[in-house]
Amino acid sequence: MIPITPRGFKDVLPDEARWREEIITCVQARLALWGYDPIETPTLEVGEVLELGGTLSDQALRLIDSDGKLLVLRPDVTLPVARLVASRRGFAERLGERPLRFRYTQSVFREQESLRAQAREFTQIGTELIGKTGAAADAEVVLLFSEALAATGLSDYTIVLCTVGVLRELITACIRVGDLPSEWGASVLAASHRSDLVALQTLVDDPRLPKHYQAALLRIFGIRGGREAIEECRELVDGLDCMDGLEQLATSYAIIEQSEAHAHVLLDFSVMSDFDYYTGMVFEAYAPGLGLRLGGGGRYDRMLADFGLDAPAAGFAFGLERAMHALLTQEGADRANLGGADLRRLSIDDDDPAKAFREAQILRAQGLRIALDFAPSTETEDREDA
Amino acid sequence: MLDFSAPREPSTPREPSTPRKPRVSGTLKPLRIAVPKGSLYRESIDLLTQAGLDTRGLIEPGRQLVIHNEGVSFFIVRPTDAPVFVAYGGVDCGICGKDSLLEAELELMELADLRFGGCRFVVAEPAAAHGAAEDSYRRLGVMRVATKYPRIAASYYDSIGVQVEIVKMHGNVELAPLCGMADRVVDITASGSTLRENDLVIVDEVLASTARFVGNPSSVRIDPRVNELAERLKALVGKEPPRRREA
Repeated sequence: MIPITPRGFKDVLPDEARWREEIITCVQARLALWGYDPIETPTLEVGEVLELGGTLSDQALRLIDSDGKLLVLRPDVTLPVARLVASRRGFAERLGERPLRFRYTQSVFREQESLRAQAREFTQIGTELIGKTGAAADAEVVLLFSEALAATGLSDYTIVLCTVGVLRELITACIRVGDLPSEWGASVLAASHRSDLVALQTLVDDPRLPKHYQAALLRIFGIRGGREAIEECRELVDGLDCMDGLEQLATSYAIIEQSEAHAHVLLDFSVMSDFDYYTGMVFEAYAPGLGLRLGGGGRYDRMLADFGLDAPAAGFAFGLERAMHALLTQEGADRANLGGADLRRLSIDDDDPAKAFREAQILRAQGLRIALDFAPSTETEDREDA
Repeated sequence: MLDFSAPREPSTPREPSTPRKPRVSGTLKPLRIAVPKGSLYRESIDLLTQAGLDTRGLIEPGRQLVIHNEGVSFFIVRPTDAPVFVAYGGVDCGICGKDSLLEAELELMELADLRFGGCRFVVAEPAAAHGAAEDSYRRLGVMRVATKYPRIAASYYDSIGVQVEIVKMHGNVELAPLCGMADRVVDITASGSTLRENDLVIVDEVLASTARFVGNPSSVRIDPRVNELAERLKALVGKEPPRRREA
């Protein structure tokens, strides 16, 4: 039998582990500067409990324990944190005073088909801002996401931002005006979740729908850019009774515009994530050279209520491994201290083994990295690990 | 995590504070387009040429798999692999049949219906064995279906509430019912001639397919050229009725 690991689960060897540690440390230190506290949740959750917060996709890895309970390996960290805050004593009272701010680095697990080159265990770094809704809270989440990505060492990344409000309100308005069945709305949402603009075109070509509603639904997915994108969207949906979400987005974007992160943030109304739990802003991050999403997030104000505590929440998460992949493709990106070149070695003298330990302690106290050589050797030398 | 890159040489460590050279997002790089060889190839090239792309060398590529032209690189791929290249960011965008998209079930953006390469997914059985499949289903509770498209076949039978055993084939699917290995086939057909020549008759329609222009979600969001190309292609194909794929 060849001692392999399960498909999509892998070992992390020192060169990678050092780099991971460096990035995690950098990013978490940055998140801490914003007043976010670390949090950890268990690897396994009770299946039916997690389901309260939203339908678990087929991608959740499940197992049955000896009590016969269906358990789920956490498919993300947002659901477990919502479960934690809603269920653990004391949080409801604390929320009355000020919002909760949490940060985490945790592995998550998702089922993948074989031969699709996808990991089933990967690492998410993210935050949760719980207990506050509104444009300023939205802006904090986006700005922090941008800082977190920058803290990984990435210089070239784009966060595309929009709000599910506009599309949902537009669909509701279309259903009302065209007297369309609610299934039509569900199909439009599903097509936009799949980014299937061809199916969308077919759905929108409904004769019962007035022309300017048709045009609005089709054109909205093509709107992207800076401040002008909001104006373009505003003109498009003017008089169609779906401005609420847009105004909050405009206010958030005005805050973002005045920060250093603005060069990395674009409005893009094609962004509709495939999670059904978003209620307001939604965003995704991309980097050139990485064909896959770096990460994303948004606002999910009804999720905690599903676990029994009515509190708004927003957050982001990105894949550490994807960020590292993007870093390797970006010119001049931060590299880990591959090989640990600054490591010094000290030999142990058989006659007085304690001496090397004493000397090493003195050097370590000065901040030097010292490893002891057990094999007899005559000199202390600098060495580069391969 | 995806890692298609070749193993890299360990690089020299650098100080984290060194300023990085600003980089223009991808725009200077050629746009990477997947073009499916086979029945969609010629019309794909025609359309890309009309859209103003430099398609020189694409018609007669010889054994070359990649054609690098001014501002654009064409990757000649197997039709069923096109969604994979696009979804994983091997290319920025590409052309492939709706059939391949449905079968691949990958995360990518379907940007335009190109209206050529029309074909239908059908269920067929040997004319001589008419009724045998139903008989087998009634008395054995199961029907065996051969197909190159197991996902499409499975979702079709699930939707009509018929339990089947699906046998995945890689080609010449028509043989399976002819030699009695399967009761029926689920396959694509443009004109139906291959089925007829093998004495198979169509018993049901599954879905219709045409060629689509698809984009990698990352490229669509950060490289405006993908959407520009989608718009040009949409304007070119207009709303004329779909044309059949020549089988």
